[in-house]
Amino acid sequence: MKRALVYLLAMTWAILGAFPASADRSFSATYDTERQVTLAGVVTQIEWVNPRAFVRIDVRDAAGTVSNWAVEIGNPLDLERDGWKRNALHIGDSIRVEGLPARGRAKQAFAKSVVLAGSGKRLFVASNKPRASAPAPPAPRWPDGRVSLGPPPGQTGYWGAANVPSLVETKGAPISMNSDGLLRNLSDAGRVAPFLPWAQALYEYRQRSLLRDDPASRCLPPGGPRQFQTANGFQFVEQRELGRILVLLGGGDRNWRVISTDGRPQGQPDEVVRSYYGNSVGRWEGDTLVVDSIGFNESFWLSKGGLPHTEALHLTERFSRPDLNTLKYQVTVDDPRTYTRPWTGGWTQQWVPNQDIQEYFCEENAESTFIR
Amino acid sequence: MQSRAFRRGCLWACLALAASGFAQEGYPLTGTWSGDWGATATQRTHLTLVMSWDGKNVTGILNPGPHSTPLASVFVDVSNWTVRIEADAKDASGKPVHIAAQGRLDDLGSYHRTLTGTWSEGTAKGDFKVTRE
Repeated sequence: MKRALVYLLAMTWAILGAFPASADRSFSATYDTERQVTLAGVVTQIEWVNPRAFVRIDVRDAAGTVSNWAVEIGNPLDLERDGWKRNALHIGDSIRVEGLPARGRAKQAFAKSVVLAGSGKRLFVASNKPRASAPAPPAPRWPDGRVSLGPPPGQTGYWGAANVPSLVETKGAPISMNSDGLLRNLSDAGRVAPFLPWAQALYEYRQRSLLRDDPASRCLPPGGPRQFQTANGFQFVEQRELGRILVLLGGGDRNWRVISTDGRPQGQPDEVVRSYYGNSVGRWEGDTLVVDSIGFNESFWLSKGGLPHTEALHLTERFSRPDLNTLKYQVTVDDPRTYTRPWTGGWTQQWVPNQDIQEYFCEENAESTFIR
Repeated sequence: MQSRAFRRGCLWACLALAASGFAQEGYPLTGTWSGDWGATATQRTHLTLVMSWDGKNVTGILNPGPHSTPLASVFVDVSNWTVRIEADAKDASGKPVHIAAQGRLDDLGSYHRTLTGTWSEGTAKGDFKVTRE
């Protein structure tokens, strides 16, 4: 039975590896990768909304009954980068869609292909052309020489997705998982982090249930390292005159986090008001911003993949920017009620130049997806 | 009438918001649980359990208030999420009475997860169900 479960998870991972997870909610929990659906219908609505664009179509079945389907076609930023615009499709067009149906009875699908009836033109196909990769310019700096985590003067930009799907301890061999943080092999769970027995059992439960209970999928704020794993990116706004850095999050309902850099001491764990983003104080060690955070609530998952924590969580984060395009993120997790010892993980994030974070509120897109 | 329905709707909306605002994703037993126990479906006694995890043990109290009882032990088997709770209370006449409960955590991923099983208080036996508030 256990072997069958591992096999099922491995197969699920293998299939999901081909699809992006550009949402706060888990792709694995939303779509059934074991099934396929083919839909032919007329476009009634186009929702070119970050982070998930949808096309709604009226589909008539053999009995003549018409039902409206929501077809997810991808992230609009990625689609536009591949040369597709909202007007590639018009209301009234007839299309044929092949894709993955949503779990449950929702009339929703993730499109693997969209073909315009009549002309046979394939729409929203990813470009195979490699994206331009010029040598990265140096990191921007303030007049006093300290590195800046924001855009160079007069420019725009923000930090995009992390280069790994989930936080894992950075030692030993890599652990295979899909873009939701779903392990290819559940027996690797013990290598993800030094869990206490209850925490590993809970982590495995979340993995076995395909991450369907993820609080972020209910639009709750993504605290801890999870805030840097949203599909919508984030920005640092350094208010040096006020002694603080704001982290503006594109995902999680466009929340913000305050990192005090005015030299104040960290609060006492018993005195701080518990919150999703905790109480953060930062200092610069050369070109590295070191942030100490306590005072977290227990209402979020620490990372994609379902890492648990308790109110005893203490994070030490280190941010550095070796060049314009790269942010190195390293975090040490210290939670003796969840893990047997402190452990460290991290990733790099890529600069998205010449763009601002798009307006996106989790709730409004959740309405259109009706998978909650 | 319409106003009463509106107020009731607002109350439910507030309760729903409050529930999501205090969602608890950490140690599964941490929090306040309420429900009842009894020998039959009609003879029920209200229960409130408050439990917390200190990294080594689960501690807590039964029925907080002037007649509260500290939990003597809480054992959790995480391989199947079964829970055994023991406490020593006093009955209505003031005599010591031992409480033992054996239950199972269900719907672990839900904020309103449940703990159900058997409950004994002295010689009385029955079933119990508590839901995390």
